[in-house]
Amino acid sequence: MKKLALVVSAICLSVSAVAASDEPVAARKALMDANAASAGLAGAMMKGDLAYNPAIAKAALLTLNASAKTFGSFFPEGSQEGDTTASPKIWEDAAGFQAALDKYMADTSAAVAAAGRDGPADLDAFKAAVGPVLGNCRSCHENFRVQQN
Amino acid sequence: MRKKLLVATLAVFLGGGVVFWTLSAPASIEAGALPDTTDAARGEQIFWAGGCASCHAKPGSDGAERLALGGGLELKTEFGTFVAPNISSDPEDGIGAWSDADFANAMLHGVSPRGEHYYPAFPYPSYARMTTQDVGDLFAFMKTLPAIEGTALGHQLSFPFTLRRGIGLWKQLYMQEEPVVTLATDASDPVKRGQYLVEGPGHCGECHTPRSFTGGQDYGQWLAGAVAAEGDGVVPNITPGEGGLDSWSASDIAYYLESGFTPDFDSVGGAMVSVQKNMAELSKDDRDAIAAYLKSVPARPNGYPASR
Repeated sequence: MKKLALVVSAICLSVSAVAASDEPVAARKALMDANAASAGLAGAMMKGDLAYNPAIAKAALLTLNASAKTFGSFFPEGSQEGDTTASPKIWEDAAGFQAALDKYMADTSAAVAAAGRDGPADLDAFKAAVGPVLGNCRSCHENFRVQQN
Repeated sequence: MRKKLLVATLAVFLGGGVVFWTLSAPASIEAGALPDTTDAARGEQIFWAGGCASCHAKPGSDGAERLALGGGLELKTEFGTFVAPNISSDPEDGIGAWSDADFANAMLHGVSPRGEHYYPAFPYPSYARMTTQDVGDLFAFMKTLPAIEGTALGHQLSFPFTLRRGIGLWKQLYMQEEPVVTLATDASDPVKRGQYLVEGPGHCGECHTPRSFTGGQDYGQWLAGAVAAEGDGVVPNITPGEGGLDSWSASDIAYYLESGFTPDFDSVGGAMVSVQKNMAELSKDDRDAIAAYLKSVPARPNGYPASR
């Protein structure tokens, strides 16, 4: 249980540290790392590698939601340069990118609402909540990230 | 003397022309090679393995939209822009009026019903390794899909790539029905099945293997990764070599094909998103087979420059 608390607070910390950053590329990478950690927890529970725990599930959903709400702030004009795999399409098709962000925010908010105070009651409830959220990863990376995997 | 030279030149020219015309002639399927019966239900699995929807359905499609094969996807390459045609069951604008032999010639020989070569943007060099039964079943399934009206725009290519006959020579150089990888004699059934899926219908090498300047696959760097045909990215190395899938287990590969997540829970991106949606429709056994084959191919260093 102590381990779990550590994992959860590490995820939350990485999110708040990002908000203070004024380096947009570093900030959005940190947010994506937090997303990957949350998706990793979700995936481990769905695969059965990690026993289902509603508190972990809730922490993962809250992290994804917090990241969804802030992620779009770290793409100022000019931040397509440097060590980034952000696609130029983010700036060329700003409306399309905003639509993808809006969908991501809506889906994570709905998942957090469904999770309730104690987190999704069981694995099936969690799968139903997190499934639409995880679908955002590939749909956004399909169009707005430079091809790499 | 001058006359002789002229005659000789003409002879060489004509001779060359005859050789060119003979070598570049479109091939077609032999009578009797078509299967006696076909199974549309089985064909659905071939459809997903073959990735037809990724180019012939509207880009970004999901769910049932992926069965609407009106074409229109543009592939921007150094040779020009190729546009995926309508291959829906519409008899006028699609391929609904094709015979079984027409379809088999397209898939296995890259030749149209009018006897013209298709451009290899249509991955028939891979499809040529498919069985005629799978090709027949696939066509039976595609006939059950919706008819979509309207034709896509034509390809926009520059000279000399506008001359289709030359593709016949290209086929002589790059089309081979035999397998790319020589498997160990004691290779398991899943590895053999995976080889068929990857080298044949899955046409993985079309993007994951680097190409020579003439656009043919460099089989010496099979699946080593390549500069993406579009944009600034790379198509990753999927051999067990360094920078490739060296740290991935077979179950990591199968899970990625099913879920779209890497072992680090990064997600699939770019053109692979649509491919992964296809792979998710396959049976677990087939995804496991692909993974088993990918773990068994020769390890190669990355097939793209380190600067990418």
